[in-house]
Amino acid sequence: MTAAAVGPLSQERERELEASGPRLDELPEDEHRGTLGMALGILTEALLFVCLFFSYFYVGHRHPHWPAHPPEITLALVLLAILLASSGTLHLAERQLKHRAPGAARLWLIVTIALGLAFTAVQVLEYGKHLMTLQPRTDAYGSLFYVITTFHALHVAAGLLMLIFVACLPTLEPPKAPRRPLHNATLYWHFVDVVWIFVVALLYVLPWWEAHHG
Amino acid sequence: MPETSTGSMTLHPGEVTTTARSSWSAMPIVDVAERLERQWSSPHTLGGWLGTVDHKRIGLRYLTTALVFLLIGGLEAVLMRLQLIGPERRLLSPEAYNQMFTMHGLTMIMWYAAPILSGFGNYLVPLFIGSRDMAFPRLNAFSYWMFLLSGVLLYASVAFGQAPDAGWFAYVPLAARRYDPALNMDFYPAAMTALTISTTVGAVNFIVTILKHRAPGMTLARMPLFLYSTGTTAALSLLALPALTAACVFLELDRRWGTHFFDTPAGGDPVLWQHLFWFFGHPWVYIVFLPATGMISMLLPVYARRPIVGHAVVAASTVLTGIVGLGVWVHHMFAVGMGQLAMSFFAAASMTISLFSTIQIFCWVATLWKGHPVRTTSLLFAVAFIATFVVGGLSGVVTAMIPFDWQVHDTYFVVAHLHYVLIGANVFPVFAALYHWWPKMTGRLLDEKLGKLSFWLMFVGFNAGFFPMHLSGLLGMRRRVYTYALSDGLGVLNLITSLGSILLAVGVLVSLANFWRSLRSGAQAPANPWKADTLEWSIPSPPPSYGFLRIPVVQTLHPLWDDFDEYADPRNERLLLHGRQTLSTTALDAEPEAISSGTKDTVVPLLLAIAITGTFGLLLGRSLWFACGAAGLCVLVGAAWLWPEHGEPGPAHEEVTA
Repeated sequence: MTAAAVGPLSQERERELEASGPRLDELPEDEHRGTLGMALGILTEALLFVCLFFSYFYVGHRHPHWPAHPPEITLALVLLAILLASSGTLHLAERQLKHRAPGAARLWLIVTIALGLAFTAVQVLEYGKHLMTLQPRTDAYGSLFYVITTFHALHVAAGLLMLIFVACLPTLEPPKAPRRPLHNATLYWHFVDVVWIFVVALLYVLPWWEAHHG
Repeated sequence: MPETSTGSMTLHPGEVTTTARSSWSAMPIVDVAERLERQWSSPHTLGGWLGTVDHKRIGLRYLTTALVFLLIGGLEAVLMRLQLIGPERRLLSPEAYNQMFTMHGLTMIMWYAAPILSGFGNYLVPLFIGSRDMAFPRLNAFSYWMFLLSGVLLYASVAFGQAPDAGWFAYVPLAARRYDPALNMDFYPAAMTALTISTTVGAVNFIVTILKHRAPGMTLARMPLFLYSTGTTAALSLLALPALTAACVFLELDRRWGTHFFDTPAGGDPVLWQHLFWFFGHPWVYIVFLPATGMISMLLPVYARRPIVGHAVVAASTVLTGIVGLGVWVHHMFAVGMGQLAMSFFAAASMTISLFSTIQIFCWVATLWKGHPVRTTSLLFAVAFIATFVVGGLSGVVTAMIPFDWQVHDTYFVVAHLHYVLIGANVFPVFAALYHWWPKMTGRLLDEKLGKLSFWLMFVGFNAGFFPMHLSGLLGMRRRVYTYALSDGLGVLNLITSLGSILLAVGVLVSLANFWRSLRSGAQAPANPWKADTLEWSIPSPPPSYGFLRIPVVQTLHPLWDDFDEYADPRNERLLLHGRQTLSTTALDAEPEAISSGTKDTVVPLLLAIAITGTFGLLLGRSLWFACGAAGLCVLVGAAWLWPEHGEPGPAHEEVTA
């Protein structure tokens, strides 16, 4: 590049260039970086749960009965229903935002937060009952059960903090980073939801199934 | 070699004083370079120093800090070698020796080898791809501060006299509370998890930057090889590090909170630790090695004066090494007792992986063979890398064979192997890269004579130091034992090893002296002293704060060796003057897609790093309520970080004056 390259252009050349497409410096602001970053964060978090489940089955395969007593399943299913419902309401929030109804979107977001808080409350209840028969210090199964479910609970807390943060934002569509905050927090929340499906399937339903049909 | 037409293209800030016409505003731009400098540079104040998000400054910090850890780890090595210089010496107590080899391993593998490559990545990745910064500049600063503070947390253990002492692999039950009751192995999970945070966010940043910030026209096929290796490494980090996090959480809970993950009587399993640790630990070997080979693949062709042989093949084998590298962790555990089938599978996978390295080695040798090599210090280090890596690779292939592995397990043969691989494939490439990119980073040339002296000292010292370890290992000398008996007959071999390692250390110091001299009185470096082919050599040395005056457009693999003018921009549309802007492109074809606006300088990443490290430190001290408070602080700082900035996109939005 020489100094002449930044000099004035002739009018024909300028018109010729106008015809060659939109200017690069007038492109819209990027809104995919944050989403991609969130997706990668979710990937590494997912691997964390893979490692936790691996540990559960690795330690378990040396035991003839794993666990010795299957955990009570009812409250886990209630928790699952709450989380699935919350993913649904969050999806509605996102759809409202797409339809340019930020007020309704915020309302659904608040409903989701309420469901998340309800999940936490029911889990405290579940722990309270569960701890009477099994504790983290009882045996390796207890350690694994409580660490896996507590890791999930911490992820619920992190997801809730993200949703609360988004709900407090002055606008759901900020012109600057974080772009698409609702979308990114939604991705995380759905991930937390999916993890709970696995927790219920592997830690509750599977032992129950084996106890009754195995 | 194609004649470079780009020497005259280099643009120094002072040269752009002509009045340009911007067709969209029809207003003259007073001084493009000065304006960009104003928007991108950080002030020379304490706030500017702590708050900078400039990838180049962060990269230099990474490099400097990692080199300091190299010196600390080297000092520990020298102390161990003085202890082992003769039989039954008492320089270090057995306890001190345990701490020494643990800290040496941790420091070198975790706080030097990988971070120094992140340092090169931070500095070079945006310059290779024609971007003005990383995708997440603040996250980049956070990643550095976490790296620094996790190292501080690790070495705080030394201040307490309770440094980790169960090996860098920290096998239970040795690392369990029963055999290690003091705080030593509590510092281990705390510091490792803190470092994991740094590495994970760094990996996210690298992947997004490589996928979204490449210059228009730099399709995947035209991507410099370092980006393949850094991308693969980043992906490996994301996939492998969670296993370390899980293992560290289990270890700390077992040690201080009475759980039973690794506790056999209560139904736990100590081998679980080994699986989790090596599921992380083996990919980590590739994490500290792949980016180094990527740098070799970029600098070797420059000195061979020709394009690399088999660009696509090298790229593919880099990615395949990463994929297969995820499936070989069990070869660290052949002596633990497992099923025949599982062991055979992992032995076969371990031998397969050497194929991909071999392919790369043939490509490098062919490049040298077909080229006209110029014997610079950098090339010497690169060639030494190839030679030592072949030796280390061969001793690796033989240890992948299970009967032989059982024979040499836990002996110095394995120590020799892993140092041939780690020094061969990390330290030598790092020095090759330092000698290659130093002029770009500092604007100064290095002394070639001192460089070559340093190289020969390091090369001879390294081989004298580590080759005899193969023999002492085959003779049955065990690792991680603080001494050996006179009657073992290992005295001469160990004496040679110790003298060699001291020579290696002297060689490193000569290079450090060379760096010091260059900074004080080195000759000015031109923009492209080596007539290299990639984009970073088209901008001044050292680069201005904004990096590229215009976002370049790329048409071939070797932008500076072809005839295409990367900076031709008649519409002045790639100046991107409104704040800290750079271009986002599509992931595969690098078609322009959007504008990425960066953020202002901020100390929030530093504050978050302090809050997180503080939480870990308080957990170590078992002050639960304070730890909860610190965790709450992390949340608040995180929210402050993400809260949208005021005003229009772009900091200090300036009107173009008529």
